[in-house]
Amino acid sequence: MIFDDLEAIADEYVLGLLDPAEQAAVEAEANRNPALQQAIGRAQDRFLPLDMTAAPVPVPPDLWPRIEARLSPAKVNRAEEPPPAANDNRLRFWRRSAFGGLAASLLLAIGLGWSLMRSVEPLVVAVLVNEAGEVQAVVEDFGSERAVVRLLTDVGLPADRTLQVWTLPSKDMGPVSLGLIDGASSTRLDPPSLPRPRDAQLYEITLEPAGGSPTGRPTGPILAKGFAKLPR
Amino acid sequence: MAAADRTTEELAADISAVAQGDRQALKRIFDAEAGRLIAIAERIVRRRDLAEDVVQDAFVAIWQKAHQYSPDRGSARGWLHAIVRNRALNILRDGKREDLMDGDALETLQEADQTEVVMSAWTALDSHQRLRRCLEALEETRRRGILMAYVGGYSHGEIAGRLSLPLGTAKSWIRRGLASLRECMA
Repeated sequence: MIFDDLEAIADEYVLGLLDPAEQAAVEAEANRNPALQQAIGRAQDRFLPLDMTAAPVPVPPDLWPRIEARLSPAKVNRAEEPPPAANDNRLRFWRRSAFGGLAASLLLAIGLGWSLMRSVEPLVVAVLVNEAGEVQAVVEDFGSERAVVRLLTDVGLPADRTLQVWTLPSKDMGPVSLGLIDGASSTRLDPPSLPRPRDAQLYEITLEPAGGSPTGRPTGPILAKGFAKLPR
Repeated sequence: MAAADRTTEELAADISAVAQGDRQALKRIFDAEAGRLIAIAERIVRRRDLAEDVVQDAFVAIWQKAHQYSPDRGSARGWLHAIVRNRALNILRDGKREDLMDGDALETLQEADQTEVVMSAWTALDSHQRLRRCLEALEETRRRGILMAYVGGYSHGEIAGRLSLPLGTAKSWIRRGLASLRECMA
């Protein structure tokens, strides 16, 4: 390919009119030829107003979690690295949740206060936050096959998806489903018989196909996670 | 969606934060831009689910390539859109769109819709915009060919077919159309 008329080549590249071999040649040349790089930038900007006429469409709620699950982990300070998670592909989450912060602790206080006023106390309360550290839900585990999850944010669920609540009673048991959330703000779950929930036990909510995870283990993106606290 | 409110400077700042490994900056870009980016990809791949896949791949690419962006490469927005457009074009060229088309009747139907989509992108431009005026100044077939390529992701061969022109003629008309456009916009 001859790089004589850079502006013309840049236009055809930006319009997607080059065949795959030419396209690859342009990309390779642009990496070492700033003039071509700049010509491509100018061509992109010339046509940009056409893109801006595209009316934004609704973004599916699971698109960001799908992206996030594919992001390579950033550099981790080993000293700060938290213990392994039920889904150990999302280590970064733990750093987030550690800082997830003030809002979470305030909510925990409210959640605890609220739960203390009731006749039956949960054995543990877990505040679940998303990766941005925003509080999404509170799980109260009463043990004896009883737990309540309270959603604190609106979740726009596609018709074919459901939210599933999990806990990790022990590493050996692995994640166990506590039940599905039908989208209501507060849902009574009927978990299987499990060991008495302990302090710092993991709880999480994942997005799963309607009817729940087909494998019995979390398969979808994690929407929120948190550690249990014992009411004191 | 507050996409229109965010300036290209804010976008450029977020891209450089993403280059430093800042996921929140990537999320900000996603929140402000994803709706429009899906729409742009959908014009090319013509299916919402494929368009969403395009945007998913594109954001993973943005995460990995953010350090490559510099203002020499044009506006931050142009760079962002180019990643989405290139991914959409690659999916298209891989033939996924054809695989998913179900028979000639459907294709004809979608073809008519698609012509609408392509032409509406042009007529939706503000009348005072230079691109609009310069496209207007082009001979109609050339304008149509350029819009089919940029907005709808059509190849030279597809454009020649749709415009009933020999391939060589279509290529040279588009090339000359692009040259006139550059001159008009300079």
